[in-house]
Amino acid sequence: MIQDQILTETPEQIAAFEARIARGEKIEPGDWMPAEYRRQLIRMIGQHAHSEYVGMLPEGAWITRAPSLKRKMILIAKVQDEAGHGQYLYHAAETLGATREDMMDGLLTRRAKYSSIFNYPSLTWADVGMIGWLVDGAAIKNQTMLAGCSYGPYSRAMVRICSEETFHHKQGKEMILAYARGTATQRRMAQDALDRWWWPSLMMLGPHDADSTNSGVLTRWGVKLKSNDEVRQEFMDEHVPELLDAGLTIPDPDMIKDEAGHWRHGPIDWTEFWAVVKGERGLGAERLGARRAAHDDGAWVREAMEAHAARRVTAQAAD
Amino acid sequence: MNETSAPEAPSGETQHRETQWPRWEVLKQDAPARPHQAVGSVHATDPEHALVTARTLFARRPSAVSMWVVPDHAILARTQEQDERGEPLPDTAEGEAQPYVVARKVNHKRSMTFVDVVGTVTATSPARALDLARATFPEPPALAWWVFPDAAVTRTDDTPETVESWFAPAKDKTYRQQSSYGVVGTHASERRGRRAAAPAGEQSGGEHD
Repeated sequence: MIQDQILTETPEQIAAFEARIARGEKIEPGDWMPAEYRRQLIRMIGQHAHSEYVGMLPEGAWITRAPSLKRKMILIAKVQDEAGHGQYLYHAAETLGATREDMMDGLLTRRAKYSSIFNYPSLTWADVGMIGWLVDGAAIKNQTMLAGCSYGPYSRAMVRICSEETFHHKQGKEMILAYARGTATQRRMAQDALDRWWWPSLMMLGPHDADSTNSGVLTRWGVKLKSNDEVRQEFMDEHVPELLDAGLTIPDPDMIKDEAGHWRHGPIDWTEFWAVVKGERGLGAERLGARRAAHDDGAWVREAMEAHAARRVTAQAAD
Repeated sequence: MNETSAPEAPSGETQHRETQWPRWEVLKQDAPARPHQAVGSVHATDPEHALVTARTLFARRPSAVSMWVVPDHAILARTQEQDERGEPLPDTAEGEAQPYVVARKVNHKRSMTFVDVVGTVTATSPARALDLARATFPEPPALAWWVFPDAAVTRTDDTPETVESWFAPAKDKTYRQQSSYGVVGTHASERRGRRAAAPAGEQSGGEHD
């Protein structure tokens, strides 16, 4: 279908579409769009939705071990939000012709990807705070950009998600700042969490611009409004001074502040990133195993709901 | 109604619905004086299931007094771009005159919501309801329309007790609100222009871990 459309797309159609984007119009479901725009959006939004979904796992594991009722309520609310964010995004992808069922199947069978950041283990309670501050902080930089993207349903999902993620970011930052000025043990935990999450947080914003294969067409059609390196720089410039203010040490001996006032990171070890993406390192198998188990364990609930709905239809027919 | 009339469904794409539950569009009202606005969709087996799921998904935070769910196949959706391109409307059968809800989107501003409900028209088919909607609500020009039979809507009960039990609990969960954390650390405006890193300022909120 998509291949057929590519063959019949005319330069006039593409020009009219690009003119709409240049005028700042949102592309809405039902509007004409290039098949490649549709394909790339389905891939990207689906991957994003899966990331939100799998993102529940590293933190969800800590709910039962939260150190106070306050922290537990916050964490439950946050994990619940991640499930919701996945749902908003599946909705956005459905408007392009994808189905939720097929996307979920893609996740469970490894046909579709999700952010490899969630394949890192969360080893201590301080990781919950550091994930909020750094991982959600990096995600918000990316999502704020996507909130301005040309596809209406994706943009709207992102605006909603950003407003909720700001809570995730703030609760994490508040927690880490508290530990950074707490007892020696708390300070050690905060530093240890920073040491493990710093580089993955930088890498989750994607390969360097020179190595990013999907960016060209997404930039041209107003989906990616900034490059990976630009977003990474925004993340650095916000978070480095705050982490230093907190008395923490960033695990990058080559990091400098340049003359323009930008914080520059040292070389990134992308071999580690790709090893985690490919599942050679990290918890990919465990994460998918947990998702599959949740899906299978929920089967009886789905069957019960369907049985209830069927009985309702039968009862209505009998009225 | 055929697939092309499904809201936000692309024309010409095959939707393979095998075993997944039907899809419902959700409209949420934030305050009595505000319109119902399209916030997204849920999959559910029946209207009550759809409403409960919609509340969990779209009212985790305050500002909701009413929610509606509408089966996606009951909605006739149309964009300005489809009009300009002359895409044919889907065939819709004539029937008894009945009220149709009209919702539209009028600008390209960054937003969390799609179309807003503007009123109702009485018509004998979705296509006629759309024509009437255009005539009844001409200004400002709509970028996108939805029309759906009022009878297809399932609503939350609007009695005070139900509104209270459905939507008030979110108000007490202030820890979900980013505003309840105030400024954490140093505000960016204070940081700008500073050359060297300084110790962290006073934090808002106590720490009781």
